[in-house]
Amino acid sequence: MAWTAREAESCWAQALQQRKTAAPRLAKAQLDQAAYRRARQRSPKPWLDAVTGRLMASSAVAAGNAERAGGLASIRQSCRKRKGRLIIRDDPPTASRYIADYIIERIKSFEPTPENPFVLGLPTGSSPVLIYRYLVEKHKAGEISFRNVVTFNMDEYVGIPREHPESYHSFMYKHFFSHVDIDPANINILNGNAPDLEAECIGYEEKIKKFGGIELFLGGIGPDGHIAFNEPGSSLKSRTRVKTLAYDTILANSRFFGNDLSQVPRMALTVGVQTVLDAREVVVIITGAHKALALQKCIEGGVNHMWTLSSLQLHPHPLIVVDEDATLELQVKTVKYFKSIEMVANELGFVQTLPTAASTGVKRSAIVEELHSPKEKPTNGFKLEAPKPNISRSVTPELVPDRMASRIPDDTTWNLQGVENEDTSFLRMSARVAPLSG
Amino acid sequence: MPSAIRDYEARSKSGITKFTNCLLVKGDDLVNEDLWISSVTGKILHSQEVFYDQQLIPDEIIDLGGRIISPGFIDVQLNGAYGFDFSVIPEEGMSAYGKGVRRVNKSLIKTGVTSYLPTITSQTPEVYHKVLPFLAPSGASRDPTAGSESLGAHCEGPFINPTKSGIHDPSILLTCPRGLPDLIDCYGASNLTPPCPIRLITLAPELPGALQATTALTALGIVVSIGHSDASYEEARAGIAAGATMITHLFNAMRPLHHRNPGIFGLLGTASPSSPRSTPTSTPTSTPGTPGTPGTPTTTTSTPSTPQKPFFGLIADGTHLHPTSTTLAHAAHPRGCILVTDAMSPAGLPNGTYPWHHGARITKHDALLTLDRSGGRIAGSSATLVACVDNFWNWTGVAVAVALRAVTEAPARMAGVWARKGRLGCAADADLCVLRVEEGGGFL
Repeated sequence: MAWTAREAESCWAQALQQRKTAAPRLAKAQLDQAAYRRARQRSPKPWLDAVTGRLMASSAVAAGNAERAGGLASIRQSCRKRKGRLIIRDDPPTASRYIADYIIERIKSFEPTPENPFVLGLPTGSSPVLIYRYLVEKHKAGEISFRNVVTFNMDEYVGIPREHPESYHSFMYKHFFSHVDIDPANINILNGNAPDLEAECIGYEEKIKKFGGIELFLGGIGPDGHIAFNEPGSSLKSRTRVKTLAYDTILANSRFFGNDLSQVPRMALTVGVQTVLDAREVVVIITGAHKALALQKCIEGGVNHMWTLSSLQLHPHPLIVVDEDATLELQVKTVKYFKSIEMVANELGFVQTLPTAASTGVKRSAIVEELHSPKEKPTNGFKLEAPKPNISRSVTPELVPDRMASRIPDDTTWNLQGVENEDTSFLRMSARVAPLSG
Repeated sequence: MPSAIRDYEARSKSGITKFTNCLLVKGDDLVNEDLWISSVTGKILHSQEVFYDQQLIPDEIIDLGGRIISPGFIDVQLNGAYGFDFSVIPEEGMSAYGKGVRRVNKSLIKTGVTSYLPTITSQTPEVYHKVLPFLAPSGASRDPTAGSESLGAHCEGPFINPTKSGIHDPSILLTCPRGLPDLIDCYGASNLTPPCPIRLITLAPELPGALQATTALTALGIVVSIGHSDASYEEARAGIAAGATMITHLFNAMRPLHHRNPGIFGLLGTASPSSPRSTPTSTPTSTPGTPGTPGTPTTTTSTPSTPQKPFFGLIADGTHLHPTSTTLAHAAHPRGCILVTDAMSPAGLPNGTYPWHHGARITKHDALLTLDRSGGRIAGSSATLVACVDNFWNWTGVAVAVALRAVTEAPARMAGVWARKGRLGCAADADLCVLRVEEGGGFL
C-alpha cells in the first residue's frame, strides 16, 4: 500500500480546496466530507478509506454513500482477480523491497501453522540478494517469523561440495537462512552430491507434493530468460532433473570461480519449468538493463522454450517486479499499461493481491450453491400455478441399426433417378461443349 | 492432525550458542558474521554444516551490538600476576604454588588472556625441577571454568648473557658448553621429555654450546627464542639457522641496532639464513654479505626459499619501548609481531611496593615496575595485554584485526598451537574475547 495516512490526509485537503474554489459544488463537498468522517470512524484502516473519501469527493455521481461504497468494494474485488501483474519500480532496491513486503504480507495472511505451513520456493543469484536482505531486516525487526515456513530451493550445482562458497547451500545460508528463525529441517535444497541424482530429483518432486505444492515460488531470470537452470530449449513441461548448463551460463558464472571456466560446474540439478508453474503463485524479480531483452521476450513475445520464463504467460497468478532499466526493451504502450493498472489500483485504495481463498472461495461456493440448489417452493399448500397433468411418455424405441437409405420413403427417390442408377459415362470435356455454330 | 513440520518450540537442546551482530577477526579484516560455538565440545562450529547436516539451531542467540569478537589473547611472557610469581616457591610449599597458579588463571581470564606461557626468570635448577610440572599445558583435560590455561612454560634463562641479564640475578646464570646435557641438568630430565611442560626457552645464542642446545631443543618440539643476548647480527643468524624462531622482547636486553652491525634486530631485515635448518653449525656462520650491508644481493638471491624471519615479542606498555620502535619492528615483519606484557607479580594489584626475589623489592606505579636496589631499573611491567594492544593500535595505526593478530594468531603460530588457538576457524577452541573499539573491555 503506497498511501500513508498522512498522504491521504493531504490529498483529501487538496481535494477539499478544489471544491471550495468551485462554489456551486461547495455544499456537496461538505456533504462528502461528512461521509468521509463517518467512514474513517468505522474503518480500522483510516488511510484506506481516506482514499476512498477523496474519490467520493471527486465523484460526480449523485448516488447514496452506501451505494458508492458498495460499488468500490466490488471494483476492488474484481480488480484483485486481475492476473499477469507487472510492477515497475525505479531501481533494484525499491523493486526488491516491494517483493519482500509482498512475501511477508502473503505469509502473514496465510497464517501458517505446523499443521499447515507456508511452502515457499526460493531462488539464488544476484537479483534476490536484496530481497533476502529486506526479509532479514523485517525478521530482525520482529515483523515476520519463518518458523512455520517450508522452503524449496530452485537449483544446486552438481559435484561441488556443499560447503563450497559458491554452492547454493552456502548462498542461502549466508544471505538468508543463518539470519532468520527457520528450522533447518524445513529447508529443502537439491543435493548435487547425491549418489543417485535422478532419485534425488524424483524425491524432490514428491516432497513438494507431500507439502501440498508450493504456495509462492520466488524466482529470478538470467539474461537469456532462463528460470532456475531451465536453459533456453528446456521443455516447458519439464520437471526436476539433472541439467547441463548452457555455455552462456558457464561463462556468466565463471566470475564466481576465479574466471576459470574449468572450475565452473557443468551440470546442475534444477526444478523444471512445470514445477515452477505448478506453484499457486509465481513472483519474479528482474532488474538491470542486461535483462531488458529477456523481459521483453517473456512479456511481449509468445510462449517460447527459448525464453523459458515466457511460460509464465500460462500461469494464473504471476507477478513480475522489475526496475526501470529492465523495461528498456518493452514498448512504451506496455509499460504505460501496467503502470496505469497499478496507479488505478492505488487510487482506488487496494493493492493487486492474489485473490485469497477467504475472499473468492466463500463467494464462489455461495454462487455454486445458489446455482445448484433447487428453487424453493412455497410450502403453505396454496399454488399459483395450475397442477401439471401427469403425462406418461411413450417408451423410446430400441435402436435398430439400418441403412440410411432404408429410411427414405420410396416416393422421394424419383428425382434421383437417372443420376444415381445410370452409369456415369466418362466423356471428354470437349464432347459436352456444343460445337460452335458456324 | 499430524504436523507437517516439527514443532519449533518442542525441539531438543543443541547446546549451541550463536553470537550475532558482531565483527569477527578474519585475516586482516573485521567481518560482520555470526559465530557458533558448542558448549558441549567447547569448540567453534562450522555453522553452515551443523545447520544443514545435523539440522541444529542455536539454543541461545547473543546479540553483541556490533562488538568485536577476537580469538582469546595469548601472552607468551607472563612472569606472574595478582601477587603470584611463577618463579617463586611459596614458603607454604608446592600446594600453595598450585593454588596460586589456579588463582592467576581465574583472574587472568578477566583480562581477555585465555591462554599464556607462564614465564620463569632465571632460577636455580631446584626451582625448575619443582615448579615446571605445575605449569604443563592443560591440554584436553582443560576445565573452562578454571579460567585461563597454560600452553606450557616459558623458561627465560638461565642460559643468557650476564651482560644483558636485566633484573635476572647474574650469579645464577649458566652456560651449556655440552649442549643438551647441560640443559637437562638445569631443567630436569622429565621436563625435557615429551610431552614436556616447557614450550619456550629463551637463551643467548652467543654462549658456548647454545647453538647445539637450540638444535636439540627444536628436535624436542620446544621453541627456542633469542633473548637477553649480546649477539651480533651474525651470531643471531646462527641462532636462527640452528632452529630459533623467536626473539624475546625485541630491543630490550639486547645490543641496540647499530648501522654497521644491526645485531639481533637485524634478523628482521633478512631473508632466511643461507644454511638450511637441518644442518646446524656450532660456530657463527660466515654469512654472505659483509656486516655493514645485510641486504646484499648475495644474501637475497642465494636464498629464494621461504624467509625465516623470526617472531618477536614487543613489550608495548609505553615504557619499555618508544612507540616508533614498535612501529619500526612491526613494519619490518608484520606477521611476526607478538605483543607481550612481561608482567610481574604486582600486575593486577594496587600501586605500592612489593617484595620480590631474594629480598629485593619492586615498586608498582600504574603500569611501570621498578626494582628498588637497581636504582630504578625497569622490572617487567604490570600492564594488561589489552592495554598493550591498545597502545600498539594507536601507535601503528594499523587495522584493528592486524593489531589483534599480534596477540592471537602470531603467538599461536609461534607456540605451535595455531590449529586450535588464536583463530576463529571451525574446530578451534572457543576462547573468545569480546571488545569494543573505544576501549577494550567486556570480556567473556
